[in-house]
Amino acid sequence: MIKIPSYIHFTRPGMLTTVQDLGRFDMAGYGVPYSGAMDRYSLAQVNFLLSNPKGAAVLEMTNLGPEMVFERSTRVVFAGAEAEILLNNKRIVKNGQVIEIQEDDCLSIEKFRKGQWLYMGVQGGFETEEVAGSKSWYPQITERGYIQKNDTLCYLSEEERFYPPVETKAKVRSDWYRTAQIKAYPGPEWDMLPTLLKNRITKKTFSVSDLVSRMAYQLTEEIPNELPGILTSPVYPGTVQLTPSGKLLLLMRDAQVTGGYPRILQIDNISLNILCQKRPGEKIKFSIL
Amino acid sequence: MEIKYFLIHDKLVEFSWPPIISEDILEKLNQVTVYLQNAYGEGIKEIRKGYHTLSLRLHVSISEQDCRDLVEEFKMLDARSLDHSAKTWHIPVAYGKAFGKDLSLLAKIHDLAEEEIIKRHSAGIYVLHFYGFLPGFMYLGGLDPVLFTPRKSKPDRQMSKGSVAIGGHQTGIYPMESPGGWYAIGKCPITLFDIKREPAVQLQVGDRIRFEPIDADSFEAIYQLAVQGKYDLRHD
Repeated sequence: MIKIPSYIHFTRPGMLTTVQDLGRFDMAGYGVPYSGAMDRYSLAQVNFLLSNPKGAAVLEMTNLGPEMVFERSTRVVFAGAEAEILLNNKRIVKNGQVIEIQEDDCLSIEKFRKGQWLYMGVQGGFETEEVAGSKSWYPQITERGYIQKNDTLCYLSEEERFYPPVETKAKVRSDWYRTAQIKAYPGPEWDMLPTLLKNRITKKTFSVSDLVSRMAYQLTEEIPNELPGILTSPVYPGTVQLTPSGKLLLLMRDAQVTGGYPRILQIDNISLNILCQKRPGEKIKFSIL
Repeated sequence: MEIKYFLIHDKLVEFSWPPIISEDILEKLNQVTVYLQNAYGEGIKEIRKGYHTLSLRLHVSISEQDCRDLVEEFKMLDARSLDHSAKTWHIPVAYGKAFGKDLSLLAKIHDLAEEEIIKRHSAGIYVLHFYGFLPGFMYLGGLDPVLFTPRKSKPDRQMSKGSVAIGGHQTGIYPMESPGGWYAIGKCPITLFDIKREPAVQLQVGDRIRFEPIDADSFEAIYQLAVQGKYDLRHD
């Protein structure tokens, strides 16, 4: 099997374009966030459809998306957010399709219609630097924090015929993240909340604010409270913190490993993938497990 | 000492001790960590610590009864002697001026001479409770209460790598560039955290730290040695 190291050239970097895999789990004891794909379900989908190893490194993109040119042939698959994806300025590329890329092909990610994070898997995964067991980018942990203009990414171009893992034309749907329901377990400080506030949190419909990052999503509605701070304690992706000023912080994949705000909820893993695809202004409702 | 548990879901449980920053509790957490690793190593995904909390992520499911049993097992550990292999590390720090831009401000806040702040800060013996906040950031106990200072209401955009700072009841070293709300009083010339080094940090939870004042010339000399990998951090 001939595999030739080849490069994707980014002619437009996009807003927050990074390489992600399942994450870096062995260094949390030294304060290193897990990182990894925001939407792990879509990461798994693109890798499955390319017959890649489960945790192969993929490209994570958000609004605004990048534009890239491929040096040699390969195959790519998109999943996650629904965006307008142009191949050489025409053909609309659909999520879940295995796209045959030829030398000098240009892929451009335009308008996002639905969802927050888009994933592009490449056959074999990206050949980028591995740090402490993961290729996930995190500023000052990996050499690069996010794609910049004229950056390149290495992949291995394979001449061989590709046998797709599914016979039929796979159709990747995106309605799985349409639900507003976010399932969550009570967190260690949940019982410090008076019943009135517990009810408010479980009955209210919240909306995602503009403060959306790989570290945390902040909700717009506030919950005024008198909870005291806590001594710094462990937090995880999916931990919901309630600040003294009433803000709800939903910690995401790049979350710090410890925090000092009361941890009122812990979002279930599947719901965390749903939540991360919510865009500013979209509604969510907690349902307690 | 009372030990509580909180089962978040069947693969994530948090054990907590009384909510105070204390070396006794730190020792208990370390003892429990070693015990868990030896007794249940394979089922454990990760053990993560705070000042008084120990969070356990598991590969296998755990029940309320398992948690109660574990608490009993932790209590039985009390009698055993501890491994007192903790080291005391000497961390060089250049204080004030270009190295710690907030030293004079902090002196004003406390109505103390800058020298007095340096004296008090470098006289302390600090204990490393855990890593958090940033990769390689040490949560240190033992700051002189005279130096307790509420955090800045508006964080600085950029604390430079190596900044030694005071915030709230704590002091710490910024292991990398980051925004921060603490008062920078000095700078450490060596890289304490390097993820590509094995191990990434030399200082382990439970170890002790002393800050040793150095002048600008020594800062430069140590910095150069450290860059070439020729500086060995002293410890006893």
